[in-house]
Amino acid sequence: MKRSKAHRNLKNFIFWMLFPTFTIVAILTYYPTIKGILLAFEDYTVFTFQNIQFVGWQNFETIFSDPNFFIALWNTVWWIALSVAFQFVLGFALALLMRKPFRGRGVYAGIVFYPWALSGFALGILWSWLLNGQFGLINDILMKLHLIHHGIDFLSNPSYAFISVIAVNVWYGIPFFAIMILAALQSIPNSLYEAAEIDGAGSVSKFFNVTLPYIKPTVVSTLLLRVIWVMNFPDIIYGMTKGGPAGSTNILATYMINIVYFESDYSKASAVGLIIISILTAYALTYLKFTSSYELGEI
Amino acid sequence: MRREKKISKVLRFFFLSIYLIAAIVPLYWIFLTSVKSPHEVYAYPIVYWPKHISFESYKFLFGFANFAQYFKNSLFVSITASFLAMSFSILSGYIMARYKFRFKKFLIITLFLAQMIPAYLLMIPQYTMFSKLGMINNLWALVIVYVNIAASFSTIMARGFFSRIPRSLEEAAMIDGTSRIGAIFRVTLPLSLPGIAAIFSFSFVNTWNELFTAVLFINSNSKMTVPVALNSFISKAGIQWNVMSAGLIVALLPTIIVFAFAQRYIVAGLTQGAVKE
Repeated sequence: MKRSKAHRNLKNFIFWMLFPTFTIVAILTYYPTIKGILLAFEDYTVFTFQNIQFVGWQNFETIFSDPNFFIALWNTVWWIALSVAFQFVLGFALALLMRKPFRGRGVYAGIVFYPWALSGFALGILWSWLLNGQFGLINDILMKLHLIHHGIDFLSNPSYAFISVIAVNVWYGIPFFAIMILAALQSIPNSLYEAAEIDGAGSVSKFFNVTLPYIKPTVVSTLLLRVIWVMNFPDIIYGMTKGGPAGSTNILATYMINIVYFESDYSKASAVGLIIISILTAYALTYLKFTSSYELGEI
Repeated sequence: MRREKKISKVLRFFFLSIYLIAAIVPLYWIFLTSVKSPHEVYAYPIVYWPKHISFESYKFLFGFANFAQYFKNSLFVSITASFLAMSFSILSGYIMARYKFRFKKFLIITLFLAQMIPAYLLMIPQYTMFSKLGMINNLWALVIVYVNIAASFSTIMARGFFSRIPRSLEEAAMIDGTSRIGAIFRVTLPLSLPGIAAIFSFSFVNTWNELFTAVLFINSNSKMTVPVALNSFISKAGIQWNVMSAGLIVALLPTIIVFAFAQRYIVAGLTQGAVKE
C-alpha cells in the first residue's frame, strides 16, 4: 500500500516536471504541423477567413502551374549541393589549419567562428552592401586587382544573384563545419598516430589511414543533417534579395514565405509547406536507414 | 626537412590569415559605413578611411527611427523566452536523464523531430491560433512561439549534461540528510551551470535572430523587434546605407557579446550532438 503510494507520487512528479515542455511542444509544434497539412487543402486567405472551404488539390494545381515554383525547386537543389559542399571543404580545411596549437588560437577561434552565431538575415543585408554595384567593397577590390573593369550589379543581375547568395551562405557556414570537424579531430587519440609513425607512415598516409577513417562517422552524420538545415535556411537570401530579381534566387523556403507575406494566400503557402515537409520526411527516412546500417557496419 | 617545415609554417600562417580577413572585413566594413558621414558613404571612388568619425547615423537611428523601442522589444522577448525555455528544460531534461518511465523513448523522438521542423513552416497555423486569441501585435505571442522554438533543443541539451553528472553525487548528499530536491539544488544544478548558461545563450541567440514569425505577427511600429525593423528598412524605397549599417551593428552587438562569453559552452553543446544548428 505504502509502496504504491510512493509509486504514484513518483509518477505525478515525473508528469508535472515534463508537463510545461511537452505541452508547449504539442500545442505549438505538433498541432500547427497537422493544422498546416489540412490548410493546404483549403482556401484560406485573408479574404476568406470567415468561410473556409475544402478545395482538394486545387492549391497544388496552382503551384504546379507556376514556373517560379520549379525555378525555386531546382534552385533548392543547387543551393543545398553547392552550399554544403563548399562549406564542408573550406570548413574542413580551416579545422586542419587550426588543429595544432598556436599562440592566440583561442582568440583566433572566437573571431573566425563568430558569423555562425549571428543573424543570417542581418549578415545577408550586410553582404548586399558589400556587393553593391556602385559603392560596394567587393567591386572595388575586384577593380583594384584589375579582374573587372566595371562594377557588377551582383544582386540585380539574375545570372550573378544566385551565385552571390550561395557564396555568402558558404561564408556563413564554414565555421559550423570547422567547429564540428575540429572537435572530431581533437578526439583522435595520439597513440593512433604514434602507432602509424612506428609503421613508417608519412603525413599524407597518416591523414588517409588514421585521420579520415576516425572522423568519418561524425563527418557523414554532420553532412547529412546539414542538408536539412541549409534547405530550411532562407534568412541569408531574405536579407540579400528576398528571392528576386524575378524569382531567380528563390528556394522553396523563400518562395513559400513570399506567398505568405505578399499574396497573403495562406493555403497556397501551406501547400508549398507540405511539399517541403514531404521532401524533408523522405530525406529523413533515407537518412535514418543509411545511418542505422552505417552504425551496424554494413557500409 | 627543416626548410620543408618552415614552408609549411608560412603556408599555414598565410591561409589562417585569409580566413581571418574573410571573417573580419565584412563586419569592419559595415562598422565603418555606420560611422561615415552620408556623403562619404555614397562617395566614388569609395572611401576606405573616413576623414572624421560621425555618429549621425546612430543619432538618427535612436532618435527619428525609434530603434531604442525595437531594441527593448527584442530584449524583452528574447530574454523572457530564453528564461522560460531554460526553466522548462531543466525540469524535463532532469527527468529524461534520471528516470525510466513509459513513453520515454517516444517523448525523446518527438523532441528530436520537433527541433527539425523549421519555424517558418509553423507560422501560418500559429498565426491563426493567436489571431483567434486576439494576440496579434502582442509581444507575449512572440514569447510563447519562441519558447517553443527553444524548448526542444534545450531539453535535449539539458538531458545531455544532467546524464553526465553521476547520480552517486546526489545520493551522497541524500545520505548526508538532504532531500532529493535539496540534492538537486545543492549538487546537480551548480555542477551543470555551464550547460545551463549554454542553453540560455543559445536560446537567446536563436530568438534574437528570429525574423519570419515576427514579421507575420507584428505590424504595429511600436511592437517591432529588431529584425522586423531592419526588414522594414529594406522595404522602404532605397536603403539609407549609413543608417542601415548602424542598425545592423546594433542588431548584431548583443549576439556578439553573448557569443564572446558563452562560445566555449555553446560549442561544447553543439559538438556533443545536442543542437541542430
